[in-house]
Amino acid sequence: METGKLGALREQLPPRTVSCNGYAPEEKPPPPPPAPSRPLEKPRYSQGTSSQCLDSWKEERTRSEEDNEMNLPSLAAAYTTILRSLGEDPERQGLLRTPWRAATAMQFFTKGYQETISDVLNDAIFDEDHDEMVIVKDIDMFSLCEHHLVPFVGKVHIGYLPNKQVLGLSKLARIVEIYSRRLQVQERLTKQIAVAITEALRPTGVGVVIEATHMCMVMRGVQKMNSKTVTSTMLGVFREDAKTREEFLTLIRS
Amino acid sequence: MACQAAGEEPPRPCCNGYSELPSAEVRRALAQYRPEKRSREAAAEGGELPALEDAYLSILEGLGENPARQGLRLTPRRAAKAMQFLTKGYQETIEDILNDAVFDEDHDEMVIVKDIDMFSLCEHHLVPFFGKVHIGYLPIKKVVGLSKLARIVEIFSRRLQVQERLTRQIALAITEALKPAGVAVIIEASHMCMVMRGVQKMNSRTITSTMLGVLREDPKTREEFLTLIKN
Repeated sequence: METGKLGALREQLPPRTVSCNGYAPEEKPPPPPPAPSRPLEKPRYSQGTSSQCLDSWKEERTRSEEDNEMNLPSLAAAYTTILRSLGEDPERQGLLRTPWRAATAMQFFTKGYQETISDVLNDAIFDEDHDEMVIVKDIDMFSLCEHHLVPFVGKVHIGYLPNKQVLGLSKLARIVEIYSRRLQVQERLTKQIAVAITEALRPTGVGVVIEATHMCMVMRGVQKMNSKTVTSTMLGVFREDAKTREEFLTLIRS
Repeated sequence: MACQAAGEEPPRPCCNGYSELPSAEVRRALAQYRPEKRSREAAAEGGELPALEDAYLSILEGLGENPARQGLRLTPRRAAKAMQFLTKGYQETIEDILNDAVFDEDHDEMVIVKDIDMFSLCEHHLVPFFGKVHIGYLPIKKVVGLSKLARIVEIFSRRLQVQERLTRQIALAITEALKPAGVAVIIEASHMCMVMRGVQKMNSRTITSTMLGVLREDPKTREEFLTLIKN
């Protein structure tokens, strides 16, 4: 059965690659599928240097406010199709504006694509003669599972050992926001946060622990209500020195 | 009350509180909440999945992602199937699940099933809201299998919903099936549309309730129900 542009796109797939956020920077993006009256877009996918995952600092934005406005009608049309395909009546009172609301909500949930680390951090790195652990814990995190487009929510705990430079504390939460407001995989999200802090501050060590509940496991599929997924990334002295790691893990637990 | 005016013997303790609502009107009220007939035909045709997949593909593109990267290759299909699962209540009806599980029992004390986990989709933003449902009813000669109460919750919650309507639909469905002396449904839920976006209030909860029959009219009965669901 004809599967429309999905079938056409699948035929043009590039070979499997592994990289941060899913695409190798040196790879050309696939040609866009045929779409009605779409203006020629600038290259939308991040194309950095050969060091793939460590380029979050230099990461290009993949979306702008203008893109959001331009794409809103097609997003809303897609949601109207979804409502109809599910057997609902998009003309009934409760659903009249739903395609627009859902499209705007989805753009908000993926606003991390519009932001880069350099935007957020440029002014908030300070020289301090502090070499003890700094921990910000229980940062609420809301992200979207990239496999099912269903939310996963949880808490992020970040700790780092500064090396003459400290970061404004709210900037740690902003780093979490930038990377979590995207289509994500929890493992990658943890690593991206850790790598971003490493590149910004060059600390002695960084530890990031995320504990989250995945709605895709709770609301559907195996339907395990109380399951939590815990991922962690330990870099530098947090990875090499067991006692430092233990101190971090103890402090985030209390 | 109409049934007394007609000279009938009202069942204990009273005419359910529905005497002012002829059953046809209840049926009409329920009918406007029943899109399942339309969607059953659509599901029987089986052809909705490709349209859903195409829609999700254009959503991924519209968000600025690369739908050809490894993690997203099958996402349109997974998201489409997930959405169909999350709205599977449209394909089910109360008659399907309740036909065999209504039993005659000489029991006229309150029956409560509480802490039923509920997951639904907000019809305004298509974002989940989830929480717990507490159901209580006062039977008149007929009781229902306990898991059927949870199944009624499932049928109505696996739809595009508004929490107020969901509460009422559950209460009306139990009423129609059992004609009890009274029904109470309370839902306490957390709305991701308020938590993840918009006002972003993490700890807010929304509580709605529907009280019918003697649970509406008699404060002491209602108080008993509310106390029992609290412990």
